[in-house]
Amino acid sequence: MSKSAVASVHQALRKNFESLESNQKLWRSTLADCSPLMESLGNLAEQTKALSNTQISSTPLRDFPDLEDRLRFKLSLAIDTVLGKLNEKMSSLQSVRDAISNQVSGVVQLYEQNTDTLDVVAVTERSATTPSIADMLEWLQDAERHYRQQFLRRKALLQTLRPDNVSLLESAPKRWTSLESPSAEDSITDALWKVSFFVESE
Amino acid sequence: MEGSARKIKDNAADWHNLLLRWERLNENGFNVAANIVNLRLSQSDQRQLLEESFSPSSPLSARTGAAAELQNECCKLQEIIDKMVTVVTKMQNLVTSQQGIQDLEDFQFGPKGRTFPLFHTWNMKQFELSFVTLWKSFSQELKLKQTILQELAHTGTSDLCMVYLSCWLYQPFIPHQVRLTLEALLLETGHRPL
Repeated sequence: MSKSAVASVHQALRKNFESLESNQKLWRSTLADCSPLMESLGNLAEQTKALSNTQISSTPLRDFPDLEDRLRFKLSLAIDTVLGKLNEKMSSLQSVRDAISNQVSGVVQLYEQNTDTLDVVAVTERSATTPSIADMLEWLQDAERHYRQQFLRRKALLQTLRPDNVSLLESAPKRWTSLESPSAEDSITDALWKVSFFVESE
Repeated sequence: MEGSARKIKDNAADWHNLLLRWERLNENGFNVAANIVNLRLSQSDQRQLLEESFSPSSPLSARTGAAAELQNECCKLQEIIDKMVTVVTKMQNLVTSQQGIQDLEDFQFGPKGRTFPLFHTWNMKQFELSFVTLWKSFSQELKLKQTILQELAHTGTSDLCMVYLSCWLYQPFIPHQVRLTLEALLLETGHRPL
């Protein structure tokens, strides 16, 4: 009885780690796409600030009376475009997060359905190539929590940004980078290493 | 297709090509302008350093070298502006040509014009209006760029330099409607399928 339960949980775990690996790659490449966008957002904020610091009427541009409004409008249009692109990236990140959350909650549910037959020994038993079920579930839940938090933090940052709030836009690239959490990413990679034999041992 | 219709359709194609050419010149010009600003700002940094260290003798050659480079970049920008002047002159010729067609139509059909539109829906006035709108935008933008060219290498404050650069890149006098006007013109004259 317990053996078949172990086998089915193992099978689900294998699938989970496989999808975690591909989703991790997707997450990373999507985040990498965001960096240049964030950079141009910072640039545009800098340009808007320079415009505000400049008294056009006391420069050689004074012969163009509506220049400031027009340029400001064009800059905010450009900011809007970049923010739109970032929002698209956020939806990709959201679907990665959802995919991971669904998968992990699926395997946890399967485990909970089988708790009667899976005793402590079965859950904590491990070998040189197969980590214990308890460990693997923990790693998956850690990964799931990491992506959930990352997504929320980045989304929250983006939601504070408005084309007319230059100081927030200016600091956005720095704050965006500060959200990086290499240690959590590393422990996910570590976990994927630890299960690599197990995943391949189908 | 012949007569006025032929001529207007050709003119619409010319507008399309001139706008493309302008965009290319604008991109090249932006790179040169950014170089000028970088050279200019690093030069004024150097000058400050020199004044602080009281040693005007040594990097004189470096200074003249940088000045020559600055001069060189300014010449490049001047060349680009000259090409932009040609583009705007051609645009003006298109406006004149349209006015000529308008006069001819007036002569042939009287002040009320044709009973049926030449293409889909536009009458002569609408062609003239769109030609003039396009031309006015670009000639104003050209004036702005000529001012920037004159001032760029003499500007010490980084804020103003940045304003010049964003003006160059984002072209405040060429609003988004210009693109729409051109597309409408291309649609009307049958260059773009309806």
